[in-house]
Amino acid sequence: IPESGHKYYLQFSTEDYRTGEDAGSCLATVLYPKKKSPPVVSIKCSRTKDKKEILEEDNRLYQRIRHQTKPITGNNIPDSYGHIEPALEPVWALAVAGSSSIMWEKSTETLGYSLAQVKAAKQWIRKDEFIEFDYTVLLHEIPTQEIISCHMRLTWLPGHPLKVKHFCASASHGLDEGSGAESGSASAEKAANF
Amino acid sequence: MRLPVLLAALVAVATCTETFVGHQVLRVVPKSDEELQKVQELQALEHLQLDFWLAPRGLGFPVDIRVPFPSLQPVKAHLEASGVSYSIMIEDVQALVDEEQTEMLRSSRRLPLDTNAFNYEAYHTLDEIYNFMDMLVAENPSLVSKLEIGRSTEDRPLYVLKFSTGGMNRPAIWIDTGIHSREWVTQASGVWFAKKIVQDHANNEGVASILETMDIFLEIVTNPDGFAFTHSKNRMWRKTRSKNSGSICVGVDPNRNWDAGFGDAGASGNPCMETYHGPYPNSEPEVKSIVDFVKSHGNIKAFISIHSYSQLLLYPYGYTSTPAPDQQELHELSAKAVAALSSLYGTKFKYGSIITTIYQASGSTIDWTYNQGIKYSFTFELRDTGRYGFLLPAKQIVPTAEETWLALKVIMEHARDNMY
Repeated sequence: IPESGHKYYLQFSTEDYRTGEDAGSCLATVLYPKKKSPPVVSIKCSRTKDKKEILEEDNRLYQRIRHQTKPITGNNIPDSYGHIEPALEPVWALAVAGSSSIMWEKSTETLGYSLAQVKAAKQWIRKDEFIEFDYTVLLHEIPTQEIISCHMRLTWLPGHPLKVKHFCASASHGLDEGSGAESGSASAEKAANF
Repeated sequence: MRLPVLLAALVAVATCTETFVGHQVLRVVPKSDEELQKVQELQALEHLQLDFWLAPRGLGFPVDIRVPFPSLQPVKAHLEASGVSYSIMIEDVQALVDEEQTEMLRSSRRLPLDTNAFNYEAYHTLDEIYNFMDMLVAENPSLVSKLEIGRSTEDRPLYVLKFSTGGMNRPAIWIDTGIHSREWVTQASGVWFAKKIVQDHANNEGVASILETMDIFLEIVTNPDGFAFTHSKNRMWRKTRSKNSGSICVGVDPNRNWDAGFGDAGASGNPCMETYHGPYPNSEPEVKSIVDFVKSHGNIKAFISIHSYSQLLLYPYGYTSTPAPDQQELHELSAKAVAALSSLYGTKFKYGSIITTIYQASGSTIDWTYNQGIKYSFTFELRDTGRYGFLLPAKQIVPTAEETWLALKVIMEHARDNMY
C-alpha cells in the first residue's frame, strides 16, 4: 500500500499440536507499516472444539502436572533423536505454547521462527494453584538460520491466559552475553488452549 | 565383592589417570591362625599400597589382594617365607581392564554384521555410517565402490559411493546428503537410499533400469566434521569446522561457499553467523572436493542436494531473481516429483525456485551446478515443517526416505529419458 506499508491477506487452517487433527481455520490481515513498529493484525477464527472441551483438556493437562510429587525438571526435549519422554510431554506442551508468544513478539515481516528444542525445563512450586516453569528454549530463526537461546518464565492455570516473560540472547554462537538482547513480557490474548 | 563390579570400577578409574600395568591379584585362603596372621600383617604395611578386594575374614575364607607391580616381590617373599600358599588370580590387571573397556564400547554400540542387520530406523554416528558403507561395498563389489574425493578440514575422509553396472564415464546422477550437519534425517535417508539402490538392482526393479545406462554417485556425509560435532558437542551445528582467521568463531556455511553469486545478498560476511560464506569461493575442502569431482567427471546430468527441514523441492536460482532458462521444464518436473512423493504418505511439499520459494541465498550448491550446465539441479528440504524441525523423531526416518526416493526416481528417470 503506497506510503503506508505492506498488507498481507491470510487464510490458513490450524491443527491440534499433539494429535494433528483439524482445529479450525482463520482469516487474517497483517499490515506492516513503513516505519518499524509492530504489525497491525486483525484475525477471525472458527474453532472445531467448543470452549467446554478445551477447558476439559486443559484441566487434564493441568492435573498431569500437579500430580507430580517433586518439581519437574527436564533437559533436551526432544532429545537429539527426536524423542520426548512421555512423562515430559506436558512440560513440552507448555513450552510450545509459551514459546509461541515469544515468537509472536519477535517475528517481523522478514524474520520468522520455529521452536527448535527445549534445552532445559524447571518447575517452581507455588503456594497457589498456578503452575510455574522456568525454561531455556532454542528458537530457529529464518532466514538467518541462527539458533537463538531464550530464557522463558511461564505461569498458568486453566481458564486463565498464559503469562510469559522472556529474555533472548542475541545471535552469536554460544557467546551468552549479548548486547542488544531483547527482554519483554507478554500474556497471550486468549487462553492457551491445546 | 563381585569381580565384574570391581573391574568396572577399575575401568572407570583407568579411564581417568591410574594404570594397573603389571599389577596382579593374588588369592590366599588361610588354613591356620598363623597364616591368617601373616596375611593380616600385610594389611598394616601401607607402603606396599595393597588393595584388598576381599579382606581377611577368618579361616577358610579367601583373601584377594591387588598387588602393585613394585610390591609383588616383597609380598610373595613374605608369603613364601611363612609357607602361606597363594594363587595368581589375575596375571595382569591392566590387560583385563583394557579388554573390558573394548568390550563395553563394542557392546554399547554393537556393530551390525551386515547391511541387512543395520538399523535404518535409527540415527547413527559417523563411524557407524562409514562402517555401513564398507559393508555395502563388501557385499556388492561389482555394483558399489567407495571413492575418497578429498579430506575435510579436520582431515576426515570425504567418501562418495559409486553405483555402476559398467561402461566408461557414463552419464551420472549425483545425490548428496548431510551438507548441513544438524539436518540428521538427510544423512539417515542417504544410508537408506544406498541400500535401496542395491536392493532394486538385485531385484531388477526400481532404479535397476536407470543403472543400465547411468551411474549414481551418493555422498552420504558431505560434512563429516560438522556431523561429528553434532554428536559430540552441539546438536544444532550447521556449518563446517574450519577456523576463521581473525575470529574466534568457527565454520563456514557450505551452502553459501559455491561460486555462484558468491558474497552477494543472501549470505553473511560475518564468521560468527550461520550463513557465513567463507573467505572466498570453494574455501571449504568439503565444497572444493565436489567441485573438482564434478568438473573432472564432466558427465553429470542431474545433481540433487538434500537438506531439511521445510518440505520443499527447489531449483535455481537463489542468488538472483532472474528465472533460470530451463525454469518451465524444472517447474513441471518438480510438480511431478512432488506428486510422487505425496502419493505415499500424503506429505505435502511446495516447490519453485529458491529465491521465490524460501529466500535469497547466494553461493548455493545448485546455482553453481546449474551454471556448470547440469540442467537437472535440485535441492530438497525434507520433513518436517517445524514441529520437530532438525530433531525429527527416528521413527520418521524410513517414511521420509521412502517418499523422497519416489521423487528422486522421477527426476532420475526424466534425466535418463531427456539426455542432453
